[in-house]
Amino acid sequence: MMENRVRCLVIEDEVETSNYICKGLREAGYLVTACATGPDGLDYATGEQWDLIILDRMLPGRIDGLSIVDKLRALGKQTPVIIVSALTTIDARVTGLRGGADDYLSKPFAFSELLARVEALLRRSAPGADSTQLQVADLTLDLRTMRVTRGPKVITLQPREYRLLEYLMRNENQVVTRTMLLESVWDYHFDPQTNVIDVQISRLRAKVDKDFPVMLIHTLRGVGYRMGAGASDETGQGLG
Amino acid sequence: MADSSTLSARFPVKRPFGPLGRASIAAKLALGYGLLGTFSIVAVSAVFYTGTIGVLDDNLDGKIVMQSDRLIEHARFPGHGALVEEVRRQLADGVDSDREIFQLITGNGVPAAGNLDAVPAGAQPAPPPRAMMVTTVVKRDGHERPARLYLRPMADGGLLIVGRDLSEQHAVREVIWRALLAGAGVSLLLTVGGALLFRRGIEGRLGEIRRTAAQIEAGNLSHRIPVSGGDEFALLNRDINRMLDRIELLMEGIRHVSNAIAHDLRTPLSRIRGRLDDALRHEMTVPRLSGAAHDAIDDIDDLIRLFERLLQIAEAESGMRARLFERLDLGRVVADIGEMYEAIAEDGGIALTVDAPASLYVDGDRNLLASAVASLLDNAIKYAGPGAAIRVRAGLHHGQASIAIHDNGPGIPEAERDKVTQRFYRLDKSRHLPGNGLGLSIVSATATSHGGSLTLEDGAPGLVARILLPLASG
Repeated sequence: MMENRVRCLVIEDEVETSNYICKGLREAGYLVTACATGPDGLDYATGEQWDLIILDRMLPGRIDGLSIVDKLRALGKQTPVIIVSALTTIDARVTGLRGGADDYLSKPFAFSELLARVEALLRRSAPGADSTQLQVADLTLDLRTMRVTRGPKVITLQPREYRLLEYLMRNENQVVTRTMLLESVWDYHFDPQTNVIDVQISRLRAKVDKDFPVMLIHTLRGVGYRMGAGASDETGQGLG
Repeated sequence: MADSSTLSARFPVKRPFGPLGRASIAAKLALGYGLLGTFSIVAVSAVFYTGTIGVLDDNLDGKIVMQSDRLIEHARFPGHGALVEEVRRQLADGVDSDREIFQLITGNGVPAAGNLDAVPAGAQPAPPPRAMMVTTVVKRDGHERPARLYLRPMADGGLLIVGRDLSEQHAVREVIWRALLAGAGVSLLLTVGGALLFRRGIEGRLGEIRRTAAQIEAGNLSHRIPVSGGDEFALLNRDINRMLDRIELLMEGIRHVSNAIAHDLRTPLSRIRGRLDDALRHEMTVPRLSGAAHDAIDDIDDLIRLFERLLQIAEAESGMRARLFERLDLGRVVADIGEMYEAIAEDGGIALTVDAPASLYVDGDRNLLASAVASLLDNAIKYAGPGAAIRVRAGLHHGQASIAIHDNGPGIPEAERDKVTQRFYRLDKSRHLPGNGLGLSIVSATATSHGGSLTLEDGAPGLVARILLPLASG
């Protein structure tokens, strides 16, 4: 694991934000390199091999974040890129994503949200086993028959609940945030004012976890959810 | 209201154009038309003059030469007897004889026959070498008179003068000149007078606009330009008034927003501050501090959300997103959001029915429209309360795509319906219910940016919130 640590490049001119991101990523076990200007960022991004690039959209030095992504893609590099930007309009988001970025996060953001997205991106770019069955502890989801069982019990799910569970299981032991769920399971990007996602999760939890000694869906307060057999110190505190 | 003396000092509306002519369009127009009028009068006069007097002059010369030719025939016989006889006959025939001039002068300078008192200036001291036409003054019947004369030297050194007295013609010419001058004077006066009237009219109309502009600049936004008639100025004034209506509305909105921000942002900020302060002042245990930090982050997240919503409204209202629009199935979006809210409605004891057939195509932004529908559903669930029934319907409504959310809750009093779409306006005056009073303004701004509208209707009972959008063309 240590030899194979994730190499991450952070291009961000604002020192405090840069430190915040780098510190968090290092705590999560990544090798982090930081730089602060557009030209430096471009040199680093194109000159070395990275597993992930996090960049600010507006950078000093005449080269902005979008043109770095542009150059990178023009060179045929498919390195996952997350843009963090204070430009939060949907317009800015769409141009960022169309410009070749893999994800777009608006400032200010919670580090947990960034980390969850980083991890989801890394998993997506990693060559995964193309299995026909997902398994978390004694919970099984058969992708071909769409049959879900926990232990001996067959669990009947609504189509949306099925997709929600599938997404959670594919991201086993990873944090997924509400926005990530809304984007991936419902395919919408907006900020619902009420806890629609929480209610959906608690429905799912009622079907998956109720009457079983081990909880599989954990609520992380203020962050999102995590699926896994491991105990979570925050389970039960949240809205579930 | 600013006091009116400083107002008129800054905006001297009484004499809006300063000294006559200085940069005033009206004065320039008046001057221009005056010059144009004068020029046309001169042109008309010139044509008229050459057409009358000029023609008379030409005919006159022709006649004189013809008469002279006829007379000279008689000079073929030796001596002047026949010619003298003919001149006398012509003078006595009574045809035009008061205008005709004949004079025969012999080779030695003695007048032989004719009606001139003296030899005219052109024929003295010797006759001209060849025939020529002159205009000169002759003496006749004891009076000096203008005349047109044809002087024709004869072979024996004599001179035959045939001509016309021009006194009458001169009198006619003078009459025509006078008439032309009088006409020109009168029309010039009329042009200048008309131009001045026109200038005064324009100044009056512009004065109204300027006075209104001055009032507006002084802060009296409700002032409007009086609109009368249906001319270009009335149209312009109507347009300006409409623009002012819009500006006043926006200004009111900004004022309202500032007040609301003062309230809605100060409250959470002071709460955050209080909590952190409290955590620091008392026993600083780790759980206590981390609890305070968590709460502060939650509150700050709420604030960020508030800002994002404000930005979202600004973005929608700036109307610059149309290029990102795509063709989408509104029925599908409504069905998705309806499904998303089914669980939460059920938990709240609310019967939610969604009727959203597919293939209702509009051009728009999928996420914004989804957010709008979610917002309306949020409101319906929040205000209708437990036990209520909510019906969501997507379909056609008078040729437009419509999303109607009908609840049987308390509804919104008619007088309040217009206000609830304003930013930060809340029916719940005590602000107990969660929310920030931005939901409906965002929905409204979203609908407007899609070329549609948000209407709130009486649901009898309850409320019908309806988003109308233009159908995708083609």
